Amino acid sequence: MKDEVRTIVEKIGGVVEEVKKSEIYVRIPQQTVRTAARLLYDSEAYFKTCVGVDEREVNGFYTIYHIFGLDSQGVDIVLKVLVPEEDPQTSSIVSEVPAADWCELEIQDLLGIKFGGRLTKRLVLPEDWPDGVYPLRKEFRYDEKPSRVIREELHEEAGIPVGPYHPALHEPEYFELYVEGEKVVDVAYRGFHVHRGIEKLAESPRFTYKQVPFLAERICGICGFVHSTCYIMAVEKAADIETPERAEFIRSIVLEVERLHSHLLWIGVAAHLLGYDAGFMHAWRIREHVMVLAEYLTGSRKTYGINVIGGVRKDLNVDKIDKTMKTIAQVREEFKKLADALLSIPQIKSRAVGTGVLTKSEARALSVVGPVARASGLYRDVRKDYPYLAYGRVSFRVPLYTEGDNLARLLVRVEEVFESIEIVKQLVDLLPGGSVVVEEYDIPPGRKAVAAIEAPRGEDVHFVITGLGRPYRWRVRAPTYQNIPALRAMLRGTPLADAPLTIASIDPCFSCTDRVLVVDIETGRKSFIKLVRGG
Amino acid sequence: MSSVNIARALKAIKRSIWVYHLNSGSCNACDIEILDALTPYFDVERFGIKLVGSPRHADLILLTGPVTRESLPKVVRAIKAMPRPRLILALGSCGVGGGIWWDTYSTIGGFKKLEDILRENGVEVDRVVYVPGCPVRPEAIIYGILLLLGVVEQKVKKVEVVASES
Repeated sequence: MKDEVRTIVEKIGGVVEEVKKSEIYVRIPQQTVRTAARLLYDSEAYFKTCVGVDEREVNGFYTIYHIFGLDSQGVDIVLKVLVPEEDPQTSSIVSEVPAADWCELEIQDLLGIKFGGRLTKRLVLPEDWPDGVYPLRKEFRYDEKPSRVIREELHEEAGIPVGPYHPALHEPEYFELYVEGEKVVDVAYRGFHVHRGIEKLAESPRFTYKQVPFLAERICGICGFVHSTCYIMAVEKAADIETPERAEFIRSIVLEVERLHSHLLWIGVAAHLLGYDAGFMHAWRIREHVMVLAEYLTGSRKTYGINVIGGVRKDLNVDKIDKTMKTIAQVREEFKKLADALLSIPQIKSRAVGTGVLTKSEARALSVVGPVARASGLYRDVRKDYPYLAYGRVSFRVPLYTEGDNLARLLVRVEEVFESIEIVKQLVDLLPGGSVVVEEYDIPPGRKAVAAIEAPRGEDVHFVITGLGRPYRWRVRAPTYQNIPALRAMLRGTPLADAPLTIASIDPCFSCTDRVLVVDIETGRKSFIKLVRGG
Repeated sequence: MSSVNIARALKAIKRSIWVYHLNSGSCNACDIEILDALTPYFDVERFGIKLVGSPRHADLILLTGPVTRESLPKVVRAIKAMPRPRLILALGSCGVGGGIWWDTYSTIGGFKKLEDILRENGVEVDRVVYVPGCPVRPEAIIYGILLLLGVVEQKVKKVEVVASES
C-alpha cells in the first residue's frame, strides 16, 4: 500500500479486510459509512458504484459494497457494510455522494434493502412487479415469473399509440422534460425497459464461469466486447490467472476496433441530429469498413465471441494483421475528410457551441465517465489511470476540453477516433508471440475483484465474487448508468430545441431517445416531440 | 380465419414496403444492423424499403429483443396500432426465441409467447418470418423481407422435435 493510500484508509477508519494490488476492502460500521464516503470523496476518489449482495449463506448478512476509485493512485477502495437479515436497512450516502443515487435504488429494488435518509422510488423493476419480491435474493429462482400487479398509475402516458419507440437504433427508454414555454425546467428519466435479469442469470445453474463471457457480450450490442473482457478481467484478477501477453494484445486490438465502430456510429447519429444527413451516411459508410474488419478478425460483425477465461479463441495471423493495417489506414483517410467537413460547417458549430453545458464541478459531483467527463475538464481515462491489458505499453493522448458543451463532447470523440487508430497501429507493431490461451486454471470460491475498462462511452466496471462453478455475484455498471443523471444538469434551463442533441451527446448506450414527453407546467398539457427524425 | 387477403395486400406493397422498428428490450446489436441496412453499403431504400416513425404507417414490423416485462404492454399496443395485414419479422435470436435470456424473470421469452399474448388481446398477426442470428446480419434482414414478400423461396423446412424427458 502506498503511503498516500494508507493515510486515506487510516482516516476512514474501519477494519481493513483485504489488501490486493489494486483493491483495498475496508469493513465499515453502518453508522460511519456516510462520513467515510464523504472523506473518500474529498480525497479525490470517484464513486464507481455500489453493489448489494445476498451473503446470508456466507456470513448471515446482506452486504453492500461501495466502490470508490482513487484514479490518481490507480487503486479502488471498497467500503463493505453489513446489513442484518432481520432488519434490512442502512443509511444512504446520496447526500454526500450524489452519484450513488441509482445504485442504491437498484439495491432496494432487487435486494430489498431500505436506505434511510433519502427519497426512494422504483427504478429497475417493471411497474407491474409485486412488492416484496426481490430477484437478487438467493431464494428467488432466476426463472420465476411473479404474477402481475395492476397499479393505478400504470401507463400514465396513455393516449400515445407508439410508446417510447423510434426507428433509428433505439431501445425503448424515454425522458420526460418539464418545460415552461420553451425552457426546460426539469427532467425525469424513465427507463429500464431493457432489464433482462442478466446478473441473476449468471448466478443460475444455467451458467458456468466459461459461459458467462458470452452472456456478458450480449449486455450491449455496441460495446459487448468491453463487457466480456471486463468480466473476464475481474475473474482472472480474483483467481490470479495469468493470461498470455499475446491474448492481452489481441483483446486490446479488438477493443479499439470496437471503439472505432462505436464512435463512428455516434458521430453519424450526431450529424443526423444536427440535420447533416450526408454526414450520417458518410460516417456509417466508413464504419462499414470497421465492421468488415471485425468480422475478418473475430468471425462476427458484432458480438465477437472470442473471449474466454485465460485468453482468446482466435489468433491473429499475417493476413489479419495486413488487413487490419490496410483498413485502419483507409478509415483514417476517409474519416479525416469527413471530420474536416463536419467541423467546418458553421451551422453545426452554432448548434453545438454552448449548448448542454455540464460544468466541471457538476461532472465531478456525479462522477461522470468517458467522453462526457473529458469534455468537462476531468482528466479521466481508465486506460491511463488503471492501465490494463496492453494499454501500459502504448502511448496515446487523452483529448481534454473544458467547455463541457456539445461541441466539446463531439470533438473528444472525433479525436479519440484518431487516437484509437494510432493505438491499433502500435499494438500491431508490438504484438508478441506465444500462445493465446491458458487452459489450466482453478477458480477458488469466495474471492472478490473489481475490474474496469474504458468503453467507448466511458468507464465500465465489473465486480465479481467467485462461487462454486459460477460467480456468486456479478455486478455490471455500464458507463451510461453513470452519465444519464448528468443530463438533468445539462438540460435544465436550456431551450427545448437543444434537448435532442444534448441527450444524444452523452451517447446513451440504449441510444433510444426518440421521443420526449413534454409537459407544460403551466397548463399541464402533454405532447410529444421527436428527437430523431423518422424514416 | 384472417379477414384480409394477404396475397393481394402483398402484391400491392411489393415495391414499397414500409417498416417500423420495434425494439422490445434488445441489446442494440440487431438494431444497429437494421440501421446498417439503411446506410450506403446495403442501402435498402433502393428496394423501396423505408423506415417509418409510426406503426400506423407500417406494412411490416421489425421486432427485436426478447420482449421484457416492462416493454410488453407497449409492444402489444404498437402491434395493435398496425393496420392489417399485420406482417412481422422476428429478428435475431431474442426476437425468435428469447435468446440467451429466454427464461429469466424479466422477459417473456420469444415470439411464440408474444403471439399467445397478442391473441388474448384480440390482435391477430397475419404473417411472421423468423430471422435468426446473434446479431442478425443485414443481408439476412433483407433476405427475410424478400421471403416474407414471396420474392424468394424458403429453403429450410420446419421440423418439430420434442425433447425427451430426463
